[in-house]
Amino acid sequence: MLTYIIRRLLAMPFLLLGVASLAFCLSHLTQADPLAALVSERQMNNPEVIAAAKERWGLDKSLPEQFVIYVTNLVSGDLGVSFRTRRPVLTDISERLPATLELVIAAMIVGTSSGILLGIVAARFRDKPIDYLARFFALFGSTIPVFWSGLLLLYILSVQFSLIPGPGRFDPRGQPPPFVTGMYTVDALIAGDFRGFLTALHYLVLPAFVLGWSVTGILARLVRASMLDVLGQDYILAARAKGAGERRTLFRHALPNAMIPTLTIIGYSFAYLITGAVLTESVFAWPGIGSYAVDSARTLDYPAIIGVSLVGASAFLLSNLVTDVTYAFANPRIKLS
Amino acid sequence: MARTLRTHALTLSLACATMLVPASLVTAQAQDKPLVIARDMDINSLDPSRGFCDTCQIVFSSTYARLVNLDKDNKTIVPMLAESWEINADQTKFTFKLNPKAKFSDGSPVEPKDVKWSLERLKNVKGSASYLVDPVKSIETPDAQTVVIDLTESNSEFLSVLTAPFLAIINSDVVAENGGDAGTDAATKDTAEQWLLANSAGAGPFVLSSYSPNQEVRLKRNDNYWGEAPAVSEIIMQQSKGGVSQLQLLEGGTADIAMQVDPTTAKSITNADIVVDTQPSLNMVYVALAPGAKGLPNPMGSKVREAIAHAIDYDGIIDLTVDGKGRRLATPIPEGFPGTGGAEPISYDVEKAKALMAEAGAADGFTIDAMYPNVNQYGVDYTLMMQKIQQDLAEIKIELNLEPVEFSVWRERVNGDGIPLTAVYFAPDFFGTSQYIQYFAMMDGTVWYKRAGAANDPELARPEVAGLLKKALSTGGAESDGYFRELAKGIAEDHIILPILSPDNVFVYRKGLEGLRFSACCNMVLSDISWK
Repeated sequence: MLTYIIRRLLAMPFLLLGVASLAFCLSHLTQADPLAALVSERQMNNPEVIAAAKERWGLDKSLPEQFVIYVTNLVSGDLGVSFRTRRPVLTDISERLPATLELVIAAMIVGTSSGILLGIVAARFRDKPIDYLARFFALFGSTIPVFWSGLLLLYILSVQFSLIPGPGRFDPRGQPPPFVTGMYTVDALIAGDFRGFLTALHYLVLPAFVLGWSVTGILARLVRASMLDVLGQDYILAARAKGAGERRTLFRHALPNAMIPTLTIIGYSFAYLITGAVLTESVFAWPGIGSYAVDSARTLDYPAIIGVSLVGASAFLLSNLVTDVTYAFANPRIKLS
Repeated sequence: MARTLRTHALTLSLACATMLVPASLVTAQAQDKPLVIARDMDINSLDPSRGFCDTCQIVFSSTYARLVNLDKDNKTIVPMLAESWEINADQTKFTFKLNPKAKFSDGSPVEPKDVKWSLERLKNVKGSASYLVDPVKSIETPDAQTVVIDLTESNSEFLSVLTAPFLAIINSDVVAENGGDAGTDAATKDTAEQWLLANSAGAGPFVLSSYSPNQEVRLKRNDNYWGEAPAVSEIIMQQSKGGVSQLQLLEGGTADIAMQVDPTTAKSITNADIVVDTQPSLNMVYVALAPGAKGLPNPMGSKVREAIAHAIDYDGIIDLTVDGKGRRLATPIPEGFPGTGGAEPISYDVEKAKALMAEAGAADGFTIDAMYPNVNQYGVDYTLMMQKIQQDLAEIKIELNLEPVEFSVWRERVNGDGIPLTAVYFAPDFFGTSQYIQYFAMMDGTVWYKRAGAANDPELARPEVAGLLKKALSTGGAESDGYFRELAKGIAEDHIILPILSPDNVFVYRKGLEGLRFSACCNMVLSDISWK
């Protein structure tokens, strides 16, 4: 197992280099002008200004030269400077990634706990009103676009009933907790700032619910199907015949086996949410990596686009590894080699 | 009964006591509350010599001072760092006397060397706003209070240019210590931008407290401000995309001002605590034609262009896109600028347009590409506007292939092969007409001369423009106005640039705020805002 993990981790830098190369080539294939982010409309006819901008940002060099410079810098941990924010991409990402991680972890907690619970309840009360209700809720979560549910819930809960604050991550008039992890809820707890924790949580609840709802939908249906499959097997019948109570039958005998296929989905969901939190971040003005990616793509900010691609690829590679390892632990029949 | 009386008496006493609290104290407490502005920020740098954007105008004009300022009437130039100035007869030498009280936020005095360094740095870093100091030949500092700016040629609008926030006067000692360079090779040697993204070094009413790209900008009152101190102690500009989201922040109590709410959304506001204030702006939304664009299926001669101009239902577009909250323009130059006044916008006349198409031999019409940036700018949804124009032009059998694209893609095409019909926007950097001529006129070197495809269609060139502009800039007053009027008329008659509307500014804010206004140089002047 350990050899397997080490081998996978050692392969990662090469895979990431491949992703960076692909992102670099694809970015430069677009028929768009990166100078649009660097030079104003007024100066587009000024050859001196154009030349100065190209020299400053390395765009005066040939594409292969730019690629070699980029890869050389990348190996030393330099992701370049963003055309748009004018700051090192690594700084931008390290400031924004914790916000996305906080949102995604909260969404995963909401999505997995409610999805598994709804799936169990729906399977236990198959074809009963509660089953239909759970399936309807799950279906809604996986089909309603985030921008619609987000805006609607914001309007109702924030504007109409003032139950939650509006878009954003923290009260702008307040002081966010001192930086430790970059996740405000965690940092507030570390600092012993309970009021700050509640404020951060208050802002986090709705976007986490909206983002997690899609996971709820997928997991609830999957867990329900797996549970129904498992509950129909002979060993469950045997357990019941031996007098096992309903709770013991469901949670001790059925759920562990029904969870094995679910683990894969949970693992993929985490990476999917990190790269797919774009809409939620836009609706809730959440300053994470998703909104950074969108803004970078719109302005053809090559260094930032490649940086974000690397973050996405890393998320997928790591979540795949964690899923594979967890799967092997959960199912002893699986041998990793 | 006695208890009730006591309770009433206590309540009354408390009420009286509350009334006795000085109103000034209540207002002072309100001013100490940070003012939160929800805005979709387009910041591309917070280095005044490199940044060039609408939000930059607001931040720079709050954190840095210029030599001169634009008054509230958006026309009159008033002292700022310079307490007085003299201009020679041929408008080539500008001599400024600095206000001895002026000091930077670190308490050090503003000196002539700072003015020289700042303007030379702006020119030499070759940034987006460096064109504003292109006319500068040399800057001298003969004594401890005087700055003399010599221009390469006469420029009657140069004083107005100096009001632009990009001509911010920077604390040269501080910025030089942090990598700043104003020499001729500053484009490669200057490295102060990183420092200026986190700090300001100006003599404005506020200082930059912190900046998180696409998240927030925090400004704090400059304790060393040498002028009238701003009323509000702290201003937070919070990133928020779109008017709906900004309005939610305002209605939810997080924000105090929503800056980019479109008129249609503003119309839906029913909250009595929110004020909607509509003011005329100087922004322009326009359609541009490129007769020299590659691959045109039919020539777009002067008659066809005039036909297109007559076939557009301008008032219908204003109603459709900004709910009537906008005005028509006779030329691209805003009303009130030098050389405007009295001209009538082109008429919406479909029959005349059809007749012109027939005269041009194009009665059967043709199909052209209409690529445009897919944006919502100044409250105008470009897709909605272009769909309406598509409908209007169908009346004269011109079919538009609408192609909404990202701005960067649009710019590649418009500066390359050209786009037969497109739409975009313009906002002035200062009160003056020359910037319009230098951008729109059919004269070699202007942005739209190239984009209209004049290289492929030499008939577009107007050889008289350069001479008229020179005369306009070397005279002044009514004479200058006359030349500018002639130039503006020429742009209108070319029918290359078709001004569609000037959308009004919609300020949406919490009741109790005052002082919100649109400035021709600075967008919104934060130091004017206060709680009543």
